[in-house]
Amino acid sequence: MNLGNMSFDNGVLHLTNWLGNVIMPTLAAAFIIIAILQFSKGKEFAHSMYGALACLMVSGLTRAFETFASQAAWNNPDLYWISLVTLINWFANVILPVYAASQVAAMALRLGVFSLVHPTSGWLRHFVTAALCLMVSGLLRLAEFFVTQGTGGVT
Amino acid sequence: MGTPQLLNDVISVLLLLAPSAAMLSLVLAGVSLRREGTLTFAIGGGFTKWMFWAVVFLTLQPLLSWFTSFGVAVPLPSGGITTSWLANFQSDVSQFVSNFVVRHLVPTLAAYFLLRAVLDAASGQHPLPSILAAMFLLGTQTTYSLLQSYNTGTQYATVDVLDSLWNHLVGTIMPIAAVLALVGAILNFATRKPFLRLVAVSLAMLTVSAIWKLLTSMM
Repeated sequence: MNLGNMSFDNGVLHLTNWLGNVIMPTLAAAFIIIAILQFSKGKEFAHSMYGALACLMVSGLTRAFETFASQAAWNNPDLYWISLVTLINWFANVILPVYAASQVAAMALRLGVFSLVHPTSGWLRHFVTAALCLMVSGLLRLAEFFVTQGTGGVT
Repeated sequence: MGTPQLLNDVISVLLLLAPSAAMLSLVLAGVSLRREGTLTFAIGGGFTKWMFWAVVFLTLQPLLSWFTSFGVAVPLPSGGITTSWLANFQSDVSQFVSNFVVRHLVPTLAAYFLLRAVLDAASGQHPLPSILAAMFLLGTQTTYSLLQSYNTGTQYATVDVLDSLWNHLVGTIMPIAAVLALVGAILNFATRKPFLRLVAVSLAMLTVSAIWKLLTSMM
């Protein structure tokens, strides 16, 4: 055994690569199986389903996080805050609109399959969720407006 | 009156054994990395203590130059060890550390840590600390060479090595650890455990230098 060629850095790097490229795709299959079994029992299966997708996207998510963390110079004191803001912006402006589309599709399915136009049938919840997903910024501004209005205190 | 030769030889032996002591400190640091039992290392804990001593032993001679700046002369003996049995003692201890401990004992210890990782997983604990400890032990020689390359040989050598080690930790190890944190976040999400903390940690690991600048700008 040639210990002179073994370094801790290489070990951790290859462990991470092995986890991301070998183990996580394998676990993705396991999570899909779990999602199917939970679906069959009528239980919540979204975590396993999205978890499986995320397991297949470790490299992509890593690149995304690297991009979030390199929005300013390495010695910029605000870099951590900027990276958090970029992550939240990405989630609100990229992921949530896609989620809104899926909610609209779910609403259409509810209406089409169950044909029950009633506020308690679930389609309204999907519709409101889709609308809320598309107006995160507006909701934030609304909350800010309320808080700003209240800075004078109770008179 | 000059310094007795035997005393000079003893000083030479101790100075020449400093690298071996540094190597042993690194091995003990690796063992402490697992014994502390968490994914993080405690400041002031066994790992940091032994790493610190490894750096001190490695930079012992430059560190002694501080005494000269205080006005205390430190005449370090030169010309090797003239007393034969002391020379043999130094050679034997160095050989023991490099051949017995580092080349043979350390890989065996690392193998035991791997076994420990499997048993940790079986008992519901996290296997990563044992795996990291095994990796650290297997990389002892390379870590020693890395520390040596950071030795500036000046009176600030000890601090320089610690400083460079921090840069290495932040610039090389932390970005890799960020991916491990991301993997942990995904697994926690899929198994319905809290995951946002790991997302924030992953970003923090990618921006440690900036957080340091933030801290210093707050002072």
